[in-house]
Amino acid sequence: MSILPKKNELGFFEIRLESIGGLGANLAGKMLAEAGVLGLGLNGSNFSSYGSEKKGSPVKSFIRFCDPDVEIRAHSPIEQPHVVGVFHEALYKTIDVVSGLAPDGILLVNSTRNFDEIKRDLKLEYGTLAIVDALQIAVEEKTKVNTAMLGALFRICEFLDPESMKNIIRKTFEKKYPHLVEPNIRTFERGYNEVQFKTYETPMGAQGKSFSRSMPKLGYKTQEIGGVITAQANSVLKDLSGSRQGFLPKFEIEQCINCAACDTVCPDLCFVWEAGEDKKGRTQMFLKGIDYQYCKGCLKCVEACPTTALSDLREKIGYAESNRVKHNFPYIAGGVS
Amino acid sequence: MAMAEKELKGINQAEQLTTFESGNEMAAMAAAQINYHIMGYFPITPSTEVAQYLDQMKARGEHNIKLIPADGEHGSAGICYGAAATGARVFNATSANGFMYMLEQLPVQAGTRFPMVMNLVTRAVSGPLDIRGDHSDLYYALNTGWVILTARTPQAVYDMNIMALKIAEHAKVRLPVMVAYDGFFTSHQKRKVHYFKEREVVQQFVGECPTDYNFARDPKAPVTIGAHMNGEDLMNNHFQQSEAMYAAGDIFKEIADEYANISGRDYPVLDLYGMEDADVALFLLNSAAETAKDVVDQLRRRGIKAGVISPNIIRPFPAKEIREALKNVKALLIGERADSYGGNGPNLTHEVKSALQDDKNNKTIVLSRVFGLGGKDFYADDAELFFKDAIESMELGYAIKPFDYFGHIPGDQEKILKPVITPQHGDVYKSGLIHVNKDPETNKLKVKLPPIRSLTSKPKRIASGHGACPGCGIFTGLELFFKGIEGDVVVLYQTGCAYVTTTAYPYSSHKQTMIHNLFQNGAATLSGTVEAFLELKERGEINVSDDATFVMVTGDGGMDIGMGSAIGTALRNHNLIMLEYDNEGYMNTGSQMSYSTPKGHMTSTSNVGKAQKGKSFHHKDTAQIMAATNIPYVFTGAEAFPQDLIKKAAKAQWYAQNVGTVYGKILITCPLNWKSEDRYGEKILEAAVNACFFPLYEVEEGITTITYNPDEKKKRVPLMEWLKYMGKTKHLLKEENRELLSELEEEIEYRWQRLLAKNNHPFL
Repeated sequence: MSILPKKNELGFFEIRLESIGGLGANLAGKMLAEAGVLGLGLNGSNFSSYGSEKKGSPVKSFIRFCDPDVEIRAHSPIEQPHVVGVFHEALYKTIDVVSGLAPDGILLVNSTRNFDEIKRDLKLEYGTLAIVDALQIAVEEKTKVNTAMLGALFRICEFLDPESMKNIIRKTFEKKYPHLVEPNIRTFERGYNEVQFKTYETPMGAQGKSFSRSMPKLGYKTQEIGGVITAQANSVLKDLSGSRQGFLPKFEIEQCINCAACDTVCPDLCFVWEAGEDKKGRTQMFLKGIDYQYCKGCLKCVEACPTTALSDLREKIGYAESNRVKHNFPYIAGGVS
Repeated sequence: MAMAEKELKGINQAEQLTTFESGNEMAAMAAAQINYHIMGYFPITPSTEVAQYLDQMKARGEHNIKLIPADGEHGSAGICYGAAATGARVFNATSANGFMYMLEQLPVQAGTRFPMVMNLVTRAVSGPLDIRGDHSDLYYALNTGWVILTARTPQAVYDMNIMALKIAEHAKVRLPVMVAYDGFFTSHQKRKVHYFKEREVVQQFVGECPTDYNFARDPKAPVTIGAHMNGEDLMNNHFQQSEAMYAAGDIFKEIADEYANISGRDYPVLDLYGMEDADVALFLLNSAAETAKDVVDQLRRRGIKAGVISPNIIRPFPAKEIREALKNVKALLIGERADSYGGNGPNLTHEVKSALQDDKNNKTIVLSRVFGLGGKDFYADDAELFFKDAIESMELGYAIKPFDYFGHIPGDQEKILKPVITPQHGDVYKSGLIHVNKDPETNKLKVKLPPIRSLTSKPKRIASGHGACPGCGIFTGLELFFKGIEGDVVVLYQTGCAYVTTTAYPYSSHKQTMIHNLFQNGAATLSGTVEAFLELKERGEINVSDDATFVMVTGDGGMDIGMGSAIGTALRNHNLIMLEYDNEGYMNTGSQMSYSTPKGHMTSTSNVGKAQKGKSFHHKDTAQIMAATNIPYVFTGAEAFPQDLIKKAAKAQWYAQNVGTVYGKILITCPLNWKSEDRYGEKILEAAVNACFFPLYEVEEGITTITYNPDEKKKRVPLMEWLKYMGKTKHLLKEENRELLSELEEEIEYRWQRLLAKNNHPFL
């Protein structure tokens, strides 16, 4: 008798974690997979979407489980998962996190928001939505988001044994960081206990979320030969705000002395300057604001600011959009779009 | 049906444990159990983890392999060759252009007959650069004279690594052996794997390291290794080599049998799935073959006799076995993750066809497809399409397209790349606010700078939207430098974080012209660009402003592997600037140690544990090395001292335009791998300077000047004040590592005092 609740035609129960580099989704995926394979004797595989070793970039972790006698031959990414775990809500903007989710699938989201808002944002029609405020738990326990998410994922994957996971957490920390054992176990337990569920009934014959394989923007008839790029600086079209992990710098123009210390330390070139006249009528540069589209929330500028013009702000949805001062790049179409 | 890894009832099966690991982890585990003498290596994705795992185990005291971080793959191959010539057991792992860089050495290893084992974690060869997996590197290995085993799964990686050494050292072989497995698909995916509980089982299987060959180990029995030959002799040498290679095919079978006996896992020459009665078949190397097996099952349920062939060894090429396996196959599609451009099919297509040629009765229709380049995923439906092609040919009795690419798309004309901003050049970058003049009395340059606020009017050289980590110090460092440069620049970025995060196709974060070349060669490349620019201008073939400044941007990694190219360029004194951003490690590939990593600092190849405490030797003083080439200007700088850095940039431009080569090193933070808080970037750099770890100075026409003296400014802080910010140095603050800390302090003080002496004496 299989302990897996559901299986696809190859016999796999599949989980996909959606995150950004630095939140520990890869580690969570690995621990989840190990709990099934080494803990319960299931067969399984675990891997990540691979890129360069960057923090803040979107990343996926994949977990396949199957019965011990089933061979795993597929290497390709999981396209139609039974469970999706979203570690970072800001990903919605740029990534279709629910792509291919099974009609009766479970979607876990790290969020402070309510079921219906998330359902609306993700255009979820049916299936089970699970919400846990993993960031809050992590902040309170001084631990990491991934441990709280892992707790919630264990609750969703009922066939896994949370006790054995707690033992692994204990073993991981007790030698080197004994003071971290209890907070991490509490974080795991809180994720497990505090996750909330709401099921939207799946009608008969319902379809899962559609999925598509990413297609390159250019093909062999449209790529310049040799891979040369002629659209210099086209990365300004990108939105990097998903790299922020909950904080951004708040700018109060009244306190600003236009010293440019912030501009000097900003890795993402977010500060927008404009020429103007000072009190004596001389032409000077003035700081107008921050282009939050590129801000990754490192807060170096807050440290560099000699006044109180820049300060930390826990980001709320919509703040960056309404307070963004757009860069006035010399767009071909003629200035600010 | 034959299983991929047939479960045999081994007579002498040894006790095994189950774990959940990736291909790279299993290669490292096999190496640790064998306990090789030497590993010379240089990091390159996706093989790097092998050295990292071995370093972690070493820090825990789990093996005694001497891990030698080379200055590049060419160097790593040299280390391995020298060690093998001494009769040591030698191990290496590499990928793609790392493999290409050592290629020259591989036939030397094979032709002079020194066994060793190397894992080739396959990846696309540049260019364009692509870090993911295909077989274009492996195909360059085919003519090196190495035995090549191919491992489809993490389990096979472990097993073949154990068999490989025994094959290599066999008296009838005495050749180096490569174990090739798919980058990321096999190297990084975790699977359930079995391994021997006791390393003694592995050591017994491979046997004692043979000593009765002509090695450079015994002064009592001196030998000459590597004499040069004429054709008459070389013919005979290579005939021996050819014989040994074919012998390796038989020895493989013997050793695979012995291994099956202790492991229960069998590796026949060919892995055959559904081939007993197959009408149509796919021939695929490595992981893709596994994917295709699932499709075979589906097709067979629909009554189609489908099969998959995947070799476990490709050198020697198992021609006889392939001939037999294909005897009754009506149509075969050979899918290859690499091309032999212009060859009307990649390499293995021709090898399979030539194997069939010797069977006069064979009527198999052969199709050849290039697929999955650069790590493009291979899904089950792709395998299904391959079978569809083969079935169609079988039904038609011929192949409509014997050779083709698979998975390429024409693209949509509407999505063609269009310029986004107007080209930024010329006057746009001339602020007119920076003035550089030579002081006739001191013969030194004087720079007049406006407040930094005024320079915000000058557009940045880098565009927003790059993909660097939050808090990355690269672009603040580079932009401060570029603030001091007036007019146009042509930049060359060597491989590294700055390159990778600004050029993810089809996006570029460069406003002006940027060239990339691999990091062992950027300086030479840019010297070619400068000279061509000047020559074209001289001949009146281009009409551009005089003030274009040529800047080669590199990380500290690029100044390790590219040191030779940089020194050569400096000695030729081209009109260009080499700008190094030093973050003390190979951060782009996952924080391996560089020669610039300070002693005791933790990286992924200088781990901290009971047996080892971070990096074992002191940081490289690249600025002094470059100063010794007697170029007109050398400087150091840091973001925390912006005026100082901008001034030096202005001088650098003057010297590059008027005299010759400039080298500058800027220290930058890497919060990800320094394990520091993003927001403290500037403070950390300030502390590094004030602790005299990173003195700010310049060497102008041979004269050293310290441009900021923390002692004089009463800003000097103990080294701890810098180290305390970083997770990578946390251990150095512990009482138990006090001695190591004072060693580092002494070295820093010694270098500082020497610099002071140079500052005070114009002839030093």
